[in-house]
Amino acid sequence: MFDYLHNFLFASALLACSVLTAEEGQREKLQSTIDAALDVIYSDCCSELTVEDKQAIVRERIEANYDLDVIIRRAIGRNWQLMKTSEQETVLELVKKLVLKAYVDGLEGKSRPEVTLGDVTTISDTRIEIISTINLDGKTYFVLYRLGRMASGWQIYDIVAENISVVSNYRQQIDDHFRKGNAAELIARLEELLQKNDINEDIHI
Amino acid sequence: MKTYTYSLLATSIVLCGLTLVVPLRAQDSYLSEEDIFNEEVDGAANVYDPLERVNRYTFAFNDFVYLNFLQPLADGYTALTPDPVEEGASKFFYNLKYPVRLVANLLQGRLNGVWVESGRFAINSTLGIAGVMTPADNFKDFAPIKPEDIGQALGAWGIGPGPYLVLPLLGPSNLRDLGGLIGDRSVNPMKEPFSLIDDWDWEWRLALTSSEFIVTSPTLLERYQQLKGSAIDPYSSLRNGYTQFRLGAIAE
Repeated sequence: MFDYLHNFLFASALLACSVLTAEEGQREKLQSTIDAALDVIYSDCCSELTVEDKQAIVRERIEANYDLDVIIRRAIGRNWQLMKTSEQETVLELVKKLVLKAYVDGLEGKSRPEVTLGDVTTISDTRIEIISTINLDGKTYFVLYRLGRMASGWQIYDIVAENISVVSNYRQQIDDHFRKGNAAELIARLEELLQKNDINEDIHI
Repeated sequence: MKTYTYSLLATSIVLCGLTLVVPLRAQDSYLSEEDIFNEEVDGAANVYDPLERVNRYTFAFNDFVYLNFLQPLADGYTALTPDPVEEGASKFFYNLKYPVRLVANLLQGRLNGVWVESGRFAINSTLGIAGVMTPADNFKDFAPIKPEDIGQALGAWGIGPGPYLVLPLLGPSNLRDLGGLIGDRSVNPMKEPFSLIDDWDWEWRLALTSSEFIVTSPTLLERYQQLKGSAIDPYSSLRNGYTQFRLGAIAE
């Protein structure tokens, strides 16, 4: 009986370890993706590249591990159904470019942020959260990554920076847009934003 | 020996069963597109904004002032001031606002917050030369905590945000936080018209207030521009960002 119990406990521990390792694996995967993206902006190998090239490589490195469509589709929410298939594809692509442009432009010229990931918090079978601490120019920021298990694997479905959810923020903007406008106008607005080199342009009401 | 063999066999069966079941369960259990794409998101989807038309005009006015007046001032300050001086000045003004954080903690009954803020103020004002440095960071019991203000205290009492407001020059707020701002000013030693230090000349107060404005503006403007640069509708983005940020601060 003792032997049986011993073996059973051993088996259970082995199983628990394998489940834990699967979640810990997400932490490692996220860390390596963040590091790979930051390398594009800060390592010597990419210093000669144009901003556009850097955006393209950052995108490539993120998409090697995560599907960016997930977080963008979540930000669009039910407005997705208000667009034609071709418009859906265009909006996805333009938002993706806009977010990557903001990411690369926001970090260019600054010192490399130090990103430390905390423990994985299991919310449910299909959702986990990973908190990260970012030290940038002597200041500390907290960013929470929310990941969900989808048919395509674990995907980032929201990023919460200093209590501000990226998805909620874009969802509100897109909801507000569709209250008064349509998909064609949204596409025109996104194209206009992408062409802007200087964000210091006055706001038009 | 026989017992051991049986137990090993039984354990192997259980282990094999579990290793088969767990991956099957994992495959079955995933989020559908409906779950993830159409789920309601937390935060500030429905901000009460009855004054949107006026707010948008104020927002455009503020944007014009920030870009054409404040930004050149902030750029000049950043270019002329070495980083340690910039950092020291920022810490000095933060330290000076201790009464605001003290009252906000007291109003929420956060005695630990009162203790930490008071300790930090005492250490940084003395050893840190009027708060220019923060030696309190080295004391485990006085590690930095998130700053509290009176608007947060009002929120913690259950007072709702009321209508969203964009204040001229000051930017996003709401009715509750506007009340909190008046409260903050009444206990802030630097501010007119409720200053606790009555014998200060107005020139000194103006000089201090202007300096604080210049010292804090580079960070604020940088955040504002990052948000604006990636926004489809900057007004809507800032309204949502402000509301989420305040909700988070009150919840903490």
